[in-house]
Amino acid sequence: MGGTVRRGRLVACVCLLGIFAAALVTSLDYSLMDALGPGPGFFPFWLSLLGAALTVAILVETARSRDIGSGSILPSRQAAWQVGGVLIALGAAAALLEPLGFRLTMLLFIAGLLFALGARSPFAIVLTALAGSFGVFHVFFYWLKVPLPIGALGL
Amino acid sequence: MDTFQHLAAGLAAATSLQNLGFALIGCFLGTLIGVLPGLGPAAGTAILIPLTFTLDPIGALIMLSAIYYGAMYGGTITSVLINVPGEAASVVTTFDGYQMAKQGRGGTALGIAAIGSFVGGIAATVALIVVAPPLAQIALSFGPPEFFALMVVGLCLITGLGGQSLLTGLVMAVLGLLIAMVGIDPVRGAPRFTFGIPSLYDGVGFIPVVMGLFGVAEILLTVEAPYREAIKTKLTSLLPSREEWRRSFGAIARGTGIGFFLGLIPGVGAIIPTFVAYVFEKRLSKTPEQFGHGAIEGVAAPETANNAYANAAMIPLLTLGIPSSPTIAVLMGAFIINGLTPGPFLFKERPDLVWAVIASFMVGNVILLILNLPFVGLWARLLRLPYQYVCVGTLLFCVIGAYSLQQSVFDVGVMIVCGVIGYGLRKIDLPLAPLILGLILGPFIEKSLRTSLEMSGGDFSIFYTRPLCLGLLLAALVVLVGSLLRPPRPEVRQSNA
Repeated sequence: MGGTVRRGRLVACVCLLGIFAAALVTSLDYSLMDALGPGPGFFPFWLSLLGAALTVAILVETARSRDIGSGSILPSRQAAWQVGGVLIALGAAAALLEPLGFRLTMLLFIAGLLFALGARSPFAIVLTALAGSFGVFHVFFYWLKVPLPIGALGL
Repeated sequence: MDTFQHLAAGLAAATSLQNLGFALIGCFLGTLIGVLPGLGPAAGTAILIPLTFTLDPIGALIMLSAIYYGAMYGGTITSVLINVPGEAASVVTTFDGYQMAKQGRGGTALGIAAIGSFVGGIAATVALIVVAPPLAQIALSFGPPEFFALMVVGLCLITGLGGQSLLTGLVMAVLGLLIAMVGIDPVRGAPRFTFGIPSLYDGVGFIPVVMGLFGVAEILLTVEAPYREAIKTKLTSLLPSREEWRRSFGAIARGTGIGFFLGLIPGVGAIIPTFVAYVFEKRLSKTPEQFGHGAIEGVAAPETANNAYANAAMIPLLTLGIPSSPTIAVLMGAFIINGLTPGPFLFKERPDLVWAVIASFMVGNVILLILNLPFVGLWARLLRLPYQYVCVGTLLFCVIGAYSLQQSVFDVGVMIVCGVIGYGLRKIDLPLAPLILGLILGPFIEKSLRTSLEMSGGDFSIFYTRPLCLGLLLAALVVLVGSLLRPPRPEVRQSNA
């Protein structure tokens, strides 16, 4: 059953049950009812309870069903590297956005990611990286007045 | 002022040079989003919201609406030329559109799609003008219990009609509602589920979530399985022949009706009207065997229905405050960012804005026709862009969109996490639309529920002693029971339209 839709759903159901259980317990810390009527915990409490019940129903349905997709949902090794690369690049961009500033971060992000995804024309990569960092910053920051971060280097 | 006076004022506002410019930019960007595979209308509209930050609310909403219906049309181009729908509503167009392109009739397929979309869009907007004001007037008499019941009906329709399984749809809606509970309690002002993180006091940002679930997730899926290159087809003969006109006329008329009426029902989604229009045409056709082999009706009917749906789907939003699809939910988010709550009160409080936006639909449809007929070759050329550049460009705009809303890196993190979640949920076929709609409707549902219970002193009978409220809740029950008894729907890659 490795890497099938069915297995994926079972894992998702367990995660959802965890989320709903945690929300249920947390909502009990807020008042469910008070003198004015339903309190801040009222709606989340009932939602968590309903969500947990529905998740259990899906869990049972998925565990018993043999019709849920049996094809693999896992990416190939190469695709997994690329998907992972995109996420690492995004995470790094988020972490560097304020210390390095938008322009430098995006210059590195675009050039690095294009190369990682298989683009090999240095001219196109450099041009795209410059346009996507300095060019886009200029349009958004100066023309559209959208605030974008400027880093320690003033870029 | 009566409807026609409002409409005239709206038309004057929509046709001002500035707003015409916004509509043109919106249509252009929307078509671009639709053309580029891997970026659907919901994420596309969301990532372009920062472009509108400095605009006045009318200009911003005109531009975002234009992006929405531009994207709904743009998807057609990829359906015809590379057999990959740019957005889910164009799936049906691949059946005959791609066959027409392979036969060297790609130009005609795109031409009839543009004309059908124009007719469907204009007709649906005219119907919107007629239907919306009285509907909003009726909705003005609703109290909190009726609004609560109405939103429950909307969510039930979306979960019941939108997905393959009612259970998975419901659990995703509940999850969306629960995420909406994060932040300051709207009634008492107490923080909830914030875990001491100041960035969560304003709640989980709707825009970063949409960008993550639809934008980043779609990019991850594209990176995993890159799309094909465009086939080379002649795009010289855009206008149909006399025989093709004859065959398309009825298909366009029927597609308009189907798209409009299904657009009024929240949760139907953009795929169903296109499928219904296609199947309807095939059943009516004297040559059904030609369907799937390049029948022009197989392009005209679904494309018309798609655009009629896109315009009609604005009616539940503008009159009742109920978004019919994730993309409309993004538009609702844009209204909220601009300090406006869509619904009947908006007609009363800001008629200038509502009517300018409605009038801009007409203007936008004309712009789309102009953009799409003569410039179809330009759009086709964009399809030759290597996917790496499209992916990187999309991610760049996602980062800008998520960050600039509150100048918060935390929101960029939320977007990335939601991207991973969306990627996983898409892999295991769990629907995203109910989650998004739960997230945007959550605060409104909770507020109306709690206000209703405060009105009744905590007595739940308020929901079944008011006839309209009871009727709506019964309707929700009927939808849920009906979708439990419904035979399974054929699999289509889930929509973000």
